[in-house]
Amino acid sequence: MFIRHGDDPRQRADFSRRAFLLGAGQAAAFGVLGTRLFQLQVTEATRYAPLAEVNRISIQLLAPARGHITDRFGELLAGNIESYRAMLVPSLARDVPEVLARLARIVPLPADEQERIVARARRQTPNLPIVVLGDLAWEQVAEINLLAPQLPGIQTEVAGRRQYFRGHAVGHIVGYVGAVERAAMDDDPVLRLPGLRIGKAGVELGMEDVLRGKSGTVKYEVDARGRIIRNLEQNEPQRGSDVVLTIDTVLQEKVIARLKRERQGAAVAMDVATGEVVAMASMPTFDPSEIAGGVTQDAWQRLQNAAHDPMLNRAVRGQYPPGSTFKMVTALAALETDTVGLNERIECTGSYDLAGQSFRCWKRNGHGACDMHRALRESCDCYFYEIARRSGIDAIATMARRLGFAQTFQTGLSLQKSGLIPDPDWKLGRFGRSWLGGETLLAAIGQGYVLATPLQLAVMTARIATGRAVVPSLVRSGAGTPPPVFDPLSTRLASLDAVRRGMIAVVNEDGGTGHNAQLDEGPQVAGKTGTSQINRASTDRRQADLDWEERDHALFVGYAPATRPRYAVVAVIEHGGGGGATAAPVVRDIMKEVLARDPSARPSHPIARTG
Amino acid sequence: MHLSYLAGAEPRSIAEKLLRINWAALALAALIAVIGVASLYSVAGGTFSPWAERHAVRFVACTAMVLVVAMLPLRLWLGIAYPAYFLALGLLALVPFAGVEAMGARRWLDAGAATIQPSELMKVALGLMLARYYQWLPPERISRPLWVALPLLAIAVPVALTLKQPDLGTAALFAIVGLALMFLAGVSAYYFLAGGALAVVAMPIVWNNLHGYQRRRIEIFLDPDQDPLGAGYHIAQSKIALGSGGASGKGFMQGTQSQLDFLPEKHTDFIFTMFAEEWGFVGGAVLLALYAALLVTIFRLTLTCGHQFGRIVIASAGLVLFTYCFINVAMVTGLIPVVGVPLPLVSYGGTAMATMMFALGLALCAHVNRTENIRRVDMGWV
Repeated sequence: MFIRHGDDPRQRADFSRRAFLLGAGQAAAFGVLGTRLFQLQVTEATRYAPLAEVNRISIQLLAPARGHITDRFGELLAGNIESYRAMLVPSLARDVPEVLARLARIVPLPADEQERIVARARRQTPNLPIVVLGDLAWEQVAEINLLAPQLPGIQTEVAGRRQYFRGHAVGHIVGYVGAVERAAMDDDPVLRLPGLRIGKAGVELGMEDVLRGKSGTVKYEVDARGRIIRNLEQNEPQRGSDVVLTIDTVLQEKVIARLKRERQGAAVAMDVATGEVVAMASMPTFDPSEIAGGVTQDAWQRLQNAAHDPMLNRAVRGQYPPGSTFKMVTALAALETDTVGLNERIECTGSYDLAGQSFRCWKRNGHGACDMHRALRESCDCYFYEIARRSGIDAIATMARRLGFAQTFQTGLSLQKSGLIPDPDWKLGRFGRSWLGGETLLAAIGQGYVLATPLQLAVMTARIATGRAVVPSLVRSGAGTPPPVFDPLSTRLASLDAVRRGMIAVVNEDGGTGHNAQLDEGPQVAGKTGTSQINRASTDRRQADLDWEERDHALFVGYAPATRPRYAVVAVIEHGGGGGATAAPVVRDIMKEVLARDPSARPSHPIARTG
Repeated sequence: MHLSYLAGAEPRSIAEKLLRINWAALALAALIAVIGVASLYSVAGGTFSPWAERHAVRFVACTAMVLVVAMLPLRLWLGIAYPAYFLALGLLALVPFAGVEAMGARRWLDAGAATIQPSELMKVALGLMLARYYQWLPPERISRPLWVALPLLAIAVPVALTLKQPDLGTAALFAIVGLALMFLAGVSAYYFLAGGALAVVAMPIVWNNLHGYQRRRIEIFLDPDQDPLGAGYHIAQSKIALGSGGASGKGFMQGTQSQLDFLPEKHTDFIFTMFAEEWGFVGGAVLLALYAALLVTIFRLTLTCGHQFGRIVIASAGLVLFTYCFINVAMVTGLIPVVGVPLPLVSYGGTAMATMMFALGLALCAHVNRTENIRRVDMGWV
């Protein structure tokens, strides 16, 4: 232990040295402040020196133009048209009510509207313009400008208004724009601009960041009466980028027309090599033009309350039990876990017993002995009950996820639903109860808890057809980017081939359930029917005898050409009855159009601009 | 605990002590405060109420406080250094639970009649605590990792607590003052170099792990021009006001840009803008020079002080003054983002003035007792 009295001279000297060093640093910091002050007040002073004592400098935000949305061939689906509007900058107007009263003598401006603007002007930053009147005629604009000296703070400007083309066909995909509800302080400042519209649905919402652009600013000098004397500085706004969809509008319109013959449903057509969705339809449809142009309260309510929910994009937000179209998943799960042999036969008596419970095959008197080929072709439920029992629910759920179920995709289309692939963990978490063996059997035939969207079914079909982990896209990446190469699925080729042969048999062999998907001419189609039950009663009665809402959903998934797959097409017809009877013909008709539009099927390669 | 560590403390009379006070520092502070009164008079449109007269009264009261603090025995401040720090820390930790929310941040504690702002207490206590620590710590241990980690932690905790309030300006002040005091106390420069290097390396990693909206917030924070009507509004208006003032200014009470309510907080955080609009670059430079002179005067006191405790207490007052001054002027001239820090002795506000003057009083007390012989070893832990 040491005892030291008083100060340590070395410590004292060290402190002084360091204090000098720190002092030098502080002096440098003050030097920076002085230099900055000199820069602002002397070097750049003239820029901000007002011409007259009473003048002030004002700053305003400039809105960027929104990017366009086009189809894959550049056809415009969402653009902007010019319209004129009158704005009020409260800080320039001084006496807002008086200015509005004068304006009302030139153009119609109801008293309650004037009150609303006055109230708004009191609440907000005085330099933020307020929209007084939108959609002005040119004559009105001219008149306002003529009387500008008596209307301080009133400015007219050109405003971009969103305009939609072929809305009835692409409405669900393109979506629509609407007013900003409430902008948070740390949001993009452009959101606080009056009259700015942002994406509310579809690609308009999903690609909002790309489409919006960046705001600009203008600084100008105003005199005491609020008139602009000169511009001091202007940063131009940055226009939003265009978005090119993978959709082929001509094809899309044909798909919509075909789907219109059914009441409700959805269809997706996808290029299996690139994952590009060339058509995606949902019935009933709506036209975004009705909404974006400033929808009336009535019209909006009508759309919202319409019985069949026309605003719902069933292709990505409709969740359906996939029914027998799910049997490929069950088949692959069993083959990959080696719990069933390729040629192994399983007897179907029309019903299957598990733990004292009886599960029926759709064919009441049974299929007899079925191998996988026949089971797929004739959609034998008992066969799939048995192989599902052997492989277990976990193997099925794993395979389902590998094929694209229970997930959403980065497609530029927001608000997708992820469907549902149940497993014991999920059930325990959701209901607090353990998994039952019978639930595995229901899942095996795409019933029970299993839910899928039409887009997911298209992805599954494309993945089986190509053996690769195809990812769907709705927005084309910039020109020059190479087409995506998807990873192979970690599934044995022999298993995939067995399933594919089964799917070819469904459409093309005697006894197959999907004959209606055959093309009159052209390549072979491979596919699978599905009929998902809405309620128990429907098994016992003929579909035609049931009320429409009671009928089963009809599904069909298919790809073509069967030997060299190019496109996957999926159709889900709500309450359509049987998959083979109702959905298969829809897929056939769509497939015919898709193949006819396929550029690689034509002698000359260049992509056609119109159809 | 006995208080024999003040060996050789010879009792002095009040008169003797008053004679030893550095009156130059007080005079400079008074000059700056007069500029504050004049500016507040102008901001109010040529009236003493509501700000100018209260500012003047407060400064007189604070000057009295400075003298009292300087006259009190040094061992009192030495004795309460640690308790004051832990009291401030405890109150800071209480703020999130019991604090009163105002203007989007929780900074105040409601203590019956008065609201107290624990971070103000901490501004004084942090310097006192570090001074006490380095008075006790033998010089050969100063740069050993454990003895570096300890004060570092003592700085980091209040920084973290104020960041959460959120009060970025005060957190920055704690960090700058605390680290600078550690440097002055003799902590090896390698620690500072290594710390700086680490910060540079860590920045991109932190950035990549932020959410989009967090990045957006930081981007606007760093570049307010992106949001000229929101976060950047104050700065844009401040720059315009400064520029329109020019080299010689528009003259006392003639500042149009700031008079016409374009400037928010013109009597507090943005008072420098108003002053420099009316007095021009010349006026702004003179005010900065006054601050620099006060800083030099304060730091010169460390040269004659005969103990580590006093040197660090004096340097702490200087650093608080410097940091306030720099952050405020850099903010209103658009060099750094808006963090809401007043200009010492000029901005309207009683708490900030009291804190600054209290720190000055401590520095003067250390100066008055500069020849005090403090024994290191008997101090123990408390």
